Amino acid sequence: MGLEMNRRMFLGGLAAAAIPARATVTTPTAPVAIAKCKTYAESLPVITKLMDQLGGLGRIVKNKTVVIKINFTGGPTTRLGYMSQARTYWTNPNHLGAMITLLDKAGARRIHIAEGADSPFVSLEEWMYKASWDVAALKNAGPRVDFVNTNIAYPGSKPYSRFKVPNGGHLFPAYDLNTVFEESDVLISMTKAKEHTTAGVTISMKNLFGMTPNCIYGSGAGGDEPLKMPKGGRQQILHGGRGQPPKSSLPELDPNSSRQDTYRIPRCIADINAARPYQLAVIDAVESMSGGEGPWSPGARPCSPGFVFAGTNGVTMDAVGMALMGFDPMAERGTVPFEDGDSALKLAEELGVGTRDLKRIEVIGTPIAEAKFDYRAVPGGIYRRGQPRQGQPGQFPGRGNQPAQPGQVPGRG
Amino acid sequence: MAMALPDSIPMRWPSGPLELATRQKKEGFTAQGKQALEYWHTPAALDIIQGSPVNCLVIGWAAGLAEDAEQQRTIRPLVDAARQRKLDVVGWVDGKTDNNAAIAAAQAAGLTAVAIQGFTGKSDFPVLPWGDRAHAPWSTSAPVLPVTDNVWPGVAGGRPDATAGPTALPWLDSNGWFLQVARARTQTPLWIVFDPPGKGEVVPARSYQTAVCDVEIGGGRWVISLDDAFRAGLAAKDAAAKDAWTGLANTVAFFVKHPEWKSYKSLGAIAVVSDFSGENYDFSGEVVNALTRRDLLCRVLCDTGKELPALTGVKTVLRADTVAPSAPIRKSLLAYVEQGGFLVAGSKWGSDGKSIPGASADFDVRTLGKGRIAVAKEDTSDPWDFVTKAQAHLSHADDVAKLFNASASGGFTYENSPDGKRALLQLLSYSNYGGGGRGGGGGRGPNAGGGAPAAVPLSSLATAWTRHKYRSAQLWTLEAGAPTKVEVAPCEDGGTEYHLPAMASYLALDFEV
Repeated sequence: MGLEMNRRMFLGGLAAAAIPARATVTTPTAPVAIAKCKTYAESLPVITKLMDQLGGLGRIVKNKTVVIKINFTGGPTTRLGYMSQARTYWTNPNHLGAMITLLDKAGARRIHIAEGADSPFVSLEEWMYKASWDVAALKNAGPRVDFVNTNIAYPGSKPYSRFKVPNGGHLFPAYDLNTVFEESDVLISMTKAKEHTTAGVTISMKNLFGMTPNCIYGSGAGGDEPLKMPKGGRQQILHGGRGQPPKSSLPELDPNSSRQDTYRIPRCIADINAARPYQLAVIDAVESMSGGEGPWSPGARPCSPGFVFAGTNGVTMDAVGMALMGFDPMAERGTVPFEDGDSALKLAEELGVGTRDLKRIEVIGTPIAEAKFDYRAVPGGIYRRGQPRQGQPGQFPGRGNQPAQPGQVPGRG
Repeated sequence: MAMALPDSIPMRWPSGPLELATRQKKEGFTAQGKQALEYWHTPAALDIIQGSPVNCLVIGWAAGLAEDAEQQRTIRPLVDAARQRKLDVVGWVDGKTDNNAAIAAAQAAGLTAVAIQGFTGKSDFPVLPWGDRAHAPWSTSAPVLPVTDNVWPGVAGGRPDATAGPTALPWLDSNGWFLQVARARTQTPLWIVFDPPGKGEVVPARSYQTAVCDVEIGGGRWVISLDDAFRAGLAAKDAAAKDAWTGLANTVAFFVKHPEWKSYKSLGAIAVVSDFSGENYDFSGEVVNALTRRDLLCRVLCDTGKELPALTGVKTVLRADTVAPSAPIRKSLLAYVEQGGFLVAGSKWGSDGKSIPGASADFDVRTLGKGRIAVAKEDTSDPWDFVTKAQAHLSHADDVAKLFNASASGGFTYENSPDGKRALLQLLSYSNYGGGGRGGGGGRGPNAGGGAPAAVPLSSLATAWTRHKYRSAQLWTLEAGAPTKVEVAPCEDGGTEYHLPAMASYLALDFEV
């Protein structure tokens, strides 16, 4: 199974399998291609190689409408020290530009760049401008490129579309997402591989959590209909369960279930990836950060893992990603890196999205052992919830626990 | 005596019977406060400001109270001593007072001037008419214009030592927006009058530095005013209070060394045009405030009924006034639009241009010449709402400068010199992070440049960005006596980034064009 499996086939397969929720079944697998990549100047050739290794991009995108879910967690003016978001915790624009170029060459009919942006920056481009992205370069990377703010309604008669979670779902039976995700034939997840203070890791699957529109699942939502403009983030409804989406959307399955975000978020991630699985992910760990998902994470520190990987299945991708980051993809709650919560990989596996068993995943290109970069070994201390901080999290780390100069990033020796 | 008030450093000098009479009626007045007021009434108190830049005392002179005469009689030794030290002394007149009598008494006592609310009479003796923000006598010919009704700058809604977080966008009280408006309305140097928070709150020393910077960055001058505990501490020669005073004085001295900066004008790509009078003052003033809070640099242009100056570099004009513009302003703005500009206007603007159906839910967007006009479909009474809706039509693609990791700042200024040869970006943190000391009393150490944490959080490392590439850039901070080099890095979008040091409180990037 590989690139030839499109979304409809995947969903059809799931339905035919009729996998009962939370049952251990034989789940799908898909190959993952890995390549070392030292700088973003290599983005185009490296991603080209990865696509070739996966069987060619044209097989999934030719004459198709593509939506690329990028990641703009946090805000456009929040950096990790002096380092830009693109180098530490956002999707990198060089990667995105390279992907747009390749999609165009492969015959994609139309390319949407999608992410949720909050008011007052109602357009995605404004976030990019604010973050000093070269928006014109992205637009020129390929024709028929547009930008969609998925926190608000999709223009037209159908602002949101309902995606049911196969096998019932863990948290919600279905999610109402921006219609761009239904209108597009192919969904691509592009983000960085990072640790996450709630979900343990954020790789290809956690990126899709951001598809949930804040007009429906954000703070201040509720009532009868989606908000016109978001009033806040997802902390209230999705993270904390302190409220339900508007009546126009389906409520969560069990309002008496745990309100802990470390219980809810992994389930939400698994649900969404089952409800609207992506067809391709290109994950960036050329430069990233350790200790959390953004500069606000108590243990945040930059790092340079120096690899990129790509695949077509959320769970197999994240399983390989975890291994590349120095973690065990079979890890259970209470163990590294899921010390505080549940494994979204395991939960997605239960929903039949894919396998996290490395023995069942074909790795193409650079072996995991050669590309592996231990995120937890990045100096600077590890912070976990409820535990005293170790070291001096937030300082620029350096080798041997010696303070590094601002701008210095630990990478491969 | 020739007055040098435009360049003076004024300090409110509460003391004596008049201050006692008014203060005793207020909550929280203590015996310690009474002692301080009595001490500050004596010539010996002038030693407190010895060696500092303060060279003008603003003393209570008359308030229409029975104590006026006693005040004026007993303060003579202080006034005489001040004049011997070549200090100016301005008598503050408030309340229902016989202005002529107050002026005559001031002249007899050897004061430099008196400041009288809304004074419009004639006098051979210097009188500084003063007013609150909404009623300031903008056309005054006095050497300085004192304005009251200002705010103690800092994070709003909390204690004065509240902090602003790196990822949150706090609402801040700042006088910056008002100073922008005020400078557009008058060429007269501005004295910005405000006192520390009342009710006996302990004000951190850092807050005093913030107060100085807030006003100086805006191009005004704060009439320094200390809280009771601070004054009492200085009277008692408390070491912490003296250190805090040194920090405040050094901050003032820093700006005294850069008088040319007050002549610089904003480089913002947005211009707010209003007559800033009546309701328009409230609304358009808040528009300027809201833009500042959103880090949208703007210029303020006052509608004086004459044509506007050239709008070079302006990408968008906001005119929110609820009345139709005067003919000259209309002519200026239409010419600006026809040449490619973008005008966002209130509903009374008129029907110029060709409407673009469905372009906006909130505005009727029209094309005119090479530019566009967005006319509000409905007027709103909420300036924040107006800016929010307008912002959907503005673009950060037009930003000329921006900041990263600086949300604890209350916005920033980016200006250039009248000759265009220099530019200046000033940034002030309103957070009291790193400044644990208090202004006066209590025995704790001051925070004048001290109290920094051992670790430098990455979130405190801010970056400035300018679209323009400058020949050189140097960094000024309050702590360093001389400018230092700043790390410069090119940015992917063609701009230039400047890596700023962990910000203590204030810094300025001084560019050579």
